[in-house]
Amino acid sequence: MAEYQNIFTRLQVRGPLYAGTPIEAHTAFSRSSAPRFSHLFGRLGDAQVGPIYLGISGLAALICGFIAFEIIGLNMWASVGWDPVQFLRQLPWLALEPPAPAYGLRIPPLAEGGWWLLAGFFLTASILLWWTRIYLRARALGLGSHTAWAFAAAIWLYLVLGFIRPLLMGSWAEAVPFGIFPHLDWTAAFSLRYGNLFYNPFHMLSIVFLYGSTLLFAMHGATVLATSRYGAERELEQIADRGTAFERGGLFWRWTMGFCASAESIHRWAWWFAVLCPLTGGIGILLTGTVVDNWYIWGQHHGLVPDYPATWGPVVDPATLPGAPK
Amino acid sequence: MTDKIEGEGDDAKMVSDKVDTGKGVLFPVALVVVAGGTLLGISALRGMDRPPVVGVQRGFRGTAMDQIYNPRTINALASQLKIPKSLPPASPDGIKAAVAYKNVQVLKNLSVAQFTRLMVSLTNWVAPKQGCAYCHNVANMAWDGLYTKVVARRMIQMTQNINQNWQSHVQNVGVTCYTCHGGNPVPKNIWFNSPGQIAATGAAETQTAMAHPSGVINDSSLPYDPFTPYLEQASDIRVQGTTALPTDNLHSIKQTEGTYALMIHFGQALGVNCTYCHNTESFGDWSRSSPARVNAWYGIRMVRDVNNAYMNSLHDVFPAYRKGELGDNAKVNCTTCHQGLFKPLYGVSMVQTFPELRTTQTAVLASATPSAAPTLAEAPAAPPMQPAGPTPATAPHS
Amino acid sequence: MAMLSFEGKYRVRGGTLVGGDLFDFWWGPFYVGFFGVTTVFFSLLGTLLILYGASLGHTWNVWRINIAPPDLSYGLAFAPIKEGGLWQAITICAIGAFCSWALRQVEISRKLGMGYHVPFAFSVAIFAYVALEVIRPVLMGSWGYAFPYGILSHLDWVSNTGYQYLHFHYNPAHMLAVSFFFTTTLALSLHGSLVLSAANPAKGEAMKTAEHENTFFRDIIGYSIGTLGIHRLGLFLALSAGFWSAICIIISGPFWTAGWPAWWGWWLNLPIWK
Repeated sequence: MAEYQNIFTRLQVRGPLYAGTPIEAHTAFSRSSAPRFSHLFGRLGDAQVGPIYLGISGLAALICGFIAFEIIGLNMWASVGWDPVQFLRQLPWLALEPPAPAYGLRIPPLAEGGWWLLAGFFLTASILLWWTRIYLRARALGLGSHTAWAFAAAIWLYLVLGFIRPLLMGSWAEAVPFGIFPHLDWTAAFSLRYGNLFYNPFHMLSIVFLYGSTLLFAMHGATVLATSRYGAERELEQIADRGTAFERGGLFWRWTMGFCASAESIHRWAWWFAVLCPLTGGIGILLTGTVVDNWYIWGQHHGLVPDYPATWGPVVDPATLPGAPK
Repeated sequence: MTDKIEGEGDDAKMVSDKVDTGKGVLFPVALVVVAGGTLLGISALRGMDRPPVVGVQRGFRGTAMDQIYNPRTINALASQLKIPKSLPPASPDGIKAAVAYKNVQVLKNLSVAQFTRLMVSLTNWVAPKQGCAYCHNVANMAWDGLYTKVVARRMIQMTQNINQNWQSHVQNVGVTCYTCHGGNPVPKNIWFNSPGQIAATGAAETQTAMAHPSGVINDSSLPYDPFTPYLEQASDIRVQGTTALPTDNLHSIKQTEGTYALMIHFGQALGVNCTYCHNTESFGDWSRSSPARVNAWYGIRMVRDVNNAYMNSLHDVFPAYRKGELGDNAKVNCTTCHQGLFKPLYGVSMVQTFPELRTTQTAVLASATPSAAPTLAEAPAAPPMQPAGPTPATAPHS
Repeated sequence: MAMLSFEGKYRVRGGTLVGGDLFDFWWGPFYVGFFGVTTVFFSLLGTLLILYGASLGHTWNVWRINIAPPDLSYGLAFAPIKEGGLWQAITICAIGAFCSWALRQVEISRKLGMGYHVPFAFSVAIFAYVALEVIRPVLMGSWGYAFPYGILSHLDWVSNTGYQYLHFHYNPAHMLAVSFFFTTTLALSLHGSLVLSAANPAKGEAMKTAEHENTFFRDIIGYSIGTLGIHRLGLFLALSAGFWSAICIIISGPFWTAGWPAWWGWWLNLPIWK
């Protein structure tokens, strides 16, 4: 039974390093960082590391990203009195918070949310520049722009959370703080404030696509690995000229569940599931607070709420009783 | 030729140059991963629980409205709990304390026997090691020069006020000095204004009053002072919308985080989780909440009353060494009485045998007739201890 | 149903684990096999039981139907059919159907000369389900801790179970699981788009190759994991998401009864900064 299942590379053969498809003539940048081999990388995937293409948008994205990273990190460090030990110890707890609600959409002093706005600006600039880089590189190499548009779906969710929804709500305070545990607190508080996000149908859809993407990648990855002895990883070749690898993989699913994708269409399923996750998620966030204030009550109006038998007698809000303390 | 990996003679030699076996890389990497993982793993897993655990169901089956306890922790808590026996009741007859002693302001219409019994009990509850001299100048018992005596008098008034006017929270169980003090001159669980984190000054954003671990918020990064706004001041706790579509509810996410921090304090103070009061499918919906939520609602108002009308009224009485870092007096929160239990002292009612602590009327010196205070005929009705935590509200499948 | 043009040459006897040639046939596009029969048996019975359970409730609204496990007081015993027994029977059917499905995938893999990656991957999903409905309830001593069958009622269960630990986002295994879910989705979008962008290049371009794919990712981030590696990575990420989901719920209750934020006390109290 113990049979090699191709989950890692047993024997790494070293061919020549590959410099990449020819670079376009009119660019001022060339590919930098001489490529090399890494045995550890080669265990799981391709052993070649590098070269990388920097480019103007890439360079600008890195600079903006670095500025945002520094603003966030230095504010966090200041919040523990520049103590390096406490900085490390409390790092997951530390935050750069958006301005207080009183500021609305005005620009607050640096110490009261101004840094958050600046960090957000530079992070957004970095992300948009990175999108440009992805788009331009795909075009320069003659590829389709699918990666750029998939990335745009993620940017949509990011912009809804940090920019579009706060704008519509009229308050920067609505946005997510920077920080590991603090952004989790924000997420929980967001659901608490708006009456249980589980009752938000777009949140439901987003989770369906999140789990669906995971399911799809497990199915696809497993199928390709299981037929890798027939060369299933050569997907482009199989798209152009189907061979036994994808015939077997396809039949596996046809026999299992009655239908199957093709070498190309499985990647369309993948693309749509992955893209719809942030797309629907962003819609769900955008509607929250702007169009719907309490998703649970919205669910009551639309026949979503389960009807549990009563465990106690009626419980009444004491604040509504006559003579109640304030 | 590079893909040829098997062969003889010269070919084999060429192959050995072209195959990377990873020698010298894998072992150190594995060593670092295993060693680091083990160290972190041991630190992280040490304080964890293990089965068996016990649960108390508080909602319809399958809703997961359950309190989950480690029975070993609960038993340890229960075994630490010591409840002093009440002294035998004293006769209400005879000369009144206000007549017999000088400077009696609160317990005027107790008989001398009752008065003495309460004073002895009070000493046992609050200053068992220090004795009478903790509050009194034994040469002149009536002298108000010791701050402790002034505080004690105010605290007796507070206890009476709680028992008389806050039955909505303390119900018939009531409180005595022992509920909070537990034999300590200063209750173990009090709070002062938080000086906050040591932070840099200047243009950095450091004064957010959140995003630092603190025990009062279960070591989360929520706002670390849930007491001042809600248990001293009366900031809005209700932040959730009450209509499906937006109307005029302007509560922010930040306010919600404040409420969340307060609720986490409740949970820790009582040793319960959120589902003790709420069906979390809708936190705000009273019709889906347990009766305990009503009790908690009154508790919030009671604690505010205690802090503002009693604790803060003693601000100038407390000496500096009894005050907080910011110079404020001690204040109470839920933990002060509950101390990790869903009912303080697991619901044992010590006040049953001290009717004088259940009414503010002791300050009124009645005419010659004996006090109309309730008699002490009935034996103290101490309910049995319930180390497994709260009882289910209903017998679930009856 | 008609077979695919190439299907006939793959429809051969053999590879079965149980039943020899008896069930070794197809029904339309579906392979049957012994485990196909047991799958149909368990899933049909389970579905009928769910319909029966729904008929006992007050609603046929699909969002509100709720078939709940027994009260905690039943412990690990069987409960009366209308008080959680139905839930127990459905759970048995579900596990029977899931395991049959996985074993049928093994038979199909053998028939097609494939590795066992798919049934193994599916086993991780089954493990996550069993962790929620069997392992954790058994560790805690009552079926009543399992989640109910119902679209919104199971979400209510998730909500309440989360708030049993005050703030579930601080559960370290939950953090890992969510990170793996997001990373899997990111990786899937990157993989899907890369293949599509090479197969569907810009107007007027010829279809691209794996060399272009490698070049694109090396240009962008300095590394391309390669055509084989991405499937290893994707499978690893996806299975890690399922695995850590199972772990995060198994430890909540049996191995941690307090608020999850407080779990991080070990980090705050490490001797290096004490």
